[in-house]
Amino acid sequence: MALREQLKKMILEVLPGVDCVIGWGAGYDALHAAPLFMRAPEDVERFLSGPLGAFGAVQNPALFLPELAGKKIGLVVKGCDSRSVVQLAAENLIKREEVVIIGFPCEGVIDLHKLRNKLAAHFVVNEPGGVTAVNLAGDHLALTAGGQEYTFKRDEIMADKCPRCREPNAVISDCFAGIERRADNIADDYEDIAALERMSLEDRFRFWEQEMSRCVRCYACRNACPLCVCRDHCAGASRDPHWLTQADSTRDKFMFQLIHTLHLAGRCTGCGECQRACPLGIPVLLLKRSLGRAVEEMFDYRAGLDTEAKPPLLTFRVEERKIKEREW
Amino acid sequence: MDAKFISRGQLPEWLRSLAARFAVLAPARAGSSVIYRPVDPEAPPRQPELAVKPTESAKRALFPLSEALLTFVKNQPDGKPGLELRETPPPRPCLVFGLPSCDARGFLVFDPVYAGSGTAGKFQDNYYLRRREQAVLIVKTCPRPLSTCFCNWVGGGPASTEGADVLATELKDGLVLEALTGKGARVLDSALLRPAADEQLTAAAQSRAASEAAMPPPVDISGCARALRGKFDSAGFWQGHSAGCLSCGACTCLCPTCYCFDLSDEERGSRGVRLRSWDSCMLPLFTQETGGHNPRAAKAARLRNRISHKFSFYPDLHPSLPGQDGHIACCGCGRCIRSCPSAVDIRRIVTEALGTAAEGAE
Amino acid sequence: MPLLNKHDRRPEHREARIVGFLCNWCSYGGADTAGVGRYSQPSDLRIIRVPCSGRVNPLFILKALLNGADGVLVSGCHPRDCHYAEGNFYARRRLEAVKRFLPTLGIDPRRFEYSWVSAAEGGRWQKVVTEFTAQIHSLGPSPLMADAPEFDFLKECGI
Repeated sequence: MALREQLKKMILEVLPGVDCVIGWGAGYDALHAAPLFMRAPEDVERFLSGPLGAFGAVQNPALFLPELAGKKIGLVVKGCDSRSVVQLAAENLIKREEVVIIGFPCEGVIDLHKLRNKLAAHFVVNEPGGVTAVNLAGDHLALTAGGQEYTFKRDEIMADKCPRCREPNAVISDCFAGIERRADNIADDYEDIAALERMSLEDRFRFWEQEMSRCVRCYACRNACPLCVCRDHCAGASRDPHWLTQADSTRDKFMFQLIHTLHLAGRCTGCGECQRACPLGIPVLLLKRSLGRAVEEMFDYRAGLDTEAKPPLLTFRVEERKIKEREW
Repeated sequence: MDAKFISRGQLPEWLRSLAARFAVLAPARAGSSVIYRPVDPEAPPRQPELAVKPTESAKRALFPLSEALLTFVKNQPDGKPGLELRETPPPRPCLVFGLPSCDARGFLVFDPVYAGSGTAGKFQDNYYLRRREQAVLIVKTCPRPLSTCFCNWVGGGPASTEGADVLATELKDGLVLEALTGKGARVLDSALLRPAADEQLTAAAQSRAASEAAMPPPVDISGCARALRGKFDSAGFWQGHSAGCLSCGACTCLCPTCYCFDLSDEERGSRGVRLRSWDSCMLPLFTQETGGHNPRAAKAARLRNRISHKFSFYPDLHPSLPGQDGHIACCGCGRCIRSCPSAVDIRRIVTEALGTAAEGAE
Repeated sequence: MPLLNKHDRRPEHREARIVGFLCNWCSYGGADTAGVGRYSQPSDLRIIRVPCSGRVNPLFILKALLNGADGVLVSGCHPRDCHYAEGNFYARRRLEAVKRFLPTLGIDPRRFEYSWVSAAEGGRWQKVVTEFTAQIHSLGPSPLMADAPEFDFLKECGI
């Protein structure tokens, strides 16, 4: 049975016992999926009905859990999404027993910012919204735009988080569709951070200045983050303390990213929703990954793997194993 | 009026020459997006990005993300606490090159509000109006619609000239520039431009006709104001459409017609500046009251407000003819759809409101 | 190292802007001890007294560095000596994380240091502050990211 059919069957089984099941449905065009809230059996027909199937399932449905607290929710999750559920449960932000988790072996999702860059290289087509037909066959995605067909390898338009993903299967699930994908030979070499750090310090600083200058302060990065749970009590909007001004200041925009990153220290699971949601394609995930790398190096800890784990910055050891004691 | 032609090769030079007189904004690529960037007359000339519809709207030209309304100094001239206010200097006249017609039409939604339509013209917003009066908008015909475009639903079109000073149409080797206003004619008065030949004018007209033909036929949304009024109390309708909404401000920040702002004083020691900056009705803080009550605490209520404001409240306040639907405060650019992380589709909300109203389902 | 004259405007003689967050119980006392003991110290450090190094929000450090501080020093009680028993243990993890994060931002990690100085260690405080100040001087002024033009008026009054 195809993956979609297996998942639909599971959703139908779960549906009577929950308020709704959250997954992905077709969005306004073939390349865009939208979160789908299934309440009735007929809604399930719309599950992953777009031509990209699970390759288009970009959104992280765990985002909606805190606002639905108190209701029983079914959730279809990719591996990365499941880590957000685990982290939310570990921090007591949701109750594990209120969520029915349906997992599946994820083979990666599309990155529309990347596709946008690829399409811009073809002067005829302009962007994903100009695409009129989509066909995903095996490892290739064929797009029709302006009357012409363009073929891309799945790998070249896949989100960067996917090839380095060590948990393609849900790390926690109540039911699982399909056969688990093996990922024990996959490692994250943090090559994206390494590449940034091959630039001079001054160039890195100017890189961020350049990237942040186009931020319009829409806060999609914050609101798309499943672990940004302060909502309308955000430090970025506080007048006292006054972290940020309301000015069109690159420095303030960058400072907001640092606030977001530091509040996610040891909590970020690297789902990349902040970067995907940014309408202007600012690579803000790099910041979170850099701090995530520091946490992994120091504490051998990655967030969102164990509901019983204590986030490393909420605890300590009297003798730290990997922090060299200050000499001065 | 005048019609001129400029070759693609000379375009950057012309924009640079305009930058001596105007603060020129032109589309430029930045990462995976296209934004309006100032043309620096000192920097080497660069081609504007015309192949891709800009990710953001051009509203920042007349309605900056943040602008200083006044500066102040707290002093004590006679030992008593005093406050010295200073006016901000007038902005340079602005010229936007290459904006799509929807962006230019967006300002038509701003105009009545900032001219004081709500107060019968008694309170006018000089900060906006002084920018508006001097601004020159060079609209570029949209070659082909995106999946999110619906300008023809709301009275626009890929080659609409409404609100434009110059209409530019791309040909293979350059652009035909047709002046639509006196301001537009004055900026076309340049040695870098030559009169457009008849065949170039014909080709431009054909290109515009092809653009119009490429638009899918519009959906009739007349009656949307009444339909949305009828949906006001339909909690299920709004909860359903807002379920995937993140409550971020991507839609409002990129929208050419969202004109709401916030005021704040930013102080440094004894000096400060009063800022007006973009606000977003999709954020909970927009309606948060000092006492703690929030009349639009739920995201469904906020989405209802945004859609209804554009398709119902604003048309009600700005009727074109008595008894008729007024000016819809949406220009159909589709940016709110294209940039929504959850792909919330404003068209679907409006058509479903209309559809269910017609069926009498509610 | 020679003391710098804060009124000397020449860049190479400019006083650096260094922010120090010192815990009330140990390092602030240590700085006091150094003063009472008449140990000579560079005057580039602006001290902010905090109850505990555990009070230092790592964002204080980033905010200072992003807004023109040339260096930031956090100093608290020695591990196991915290007045509140464990505040500096939490601080150590946070401060170390920030230090490792700075290179990604394009900020030299040597612009930020943390140290443990007890109230009795006037001499140690002198060493820490002198060496850190010298380190910041060798790095020069910190890079500044563009601010909003609305704040240009601040330049008029030299802020």
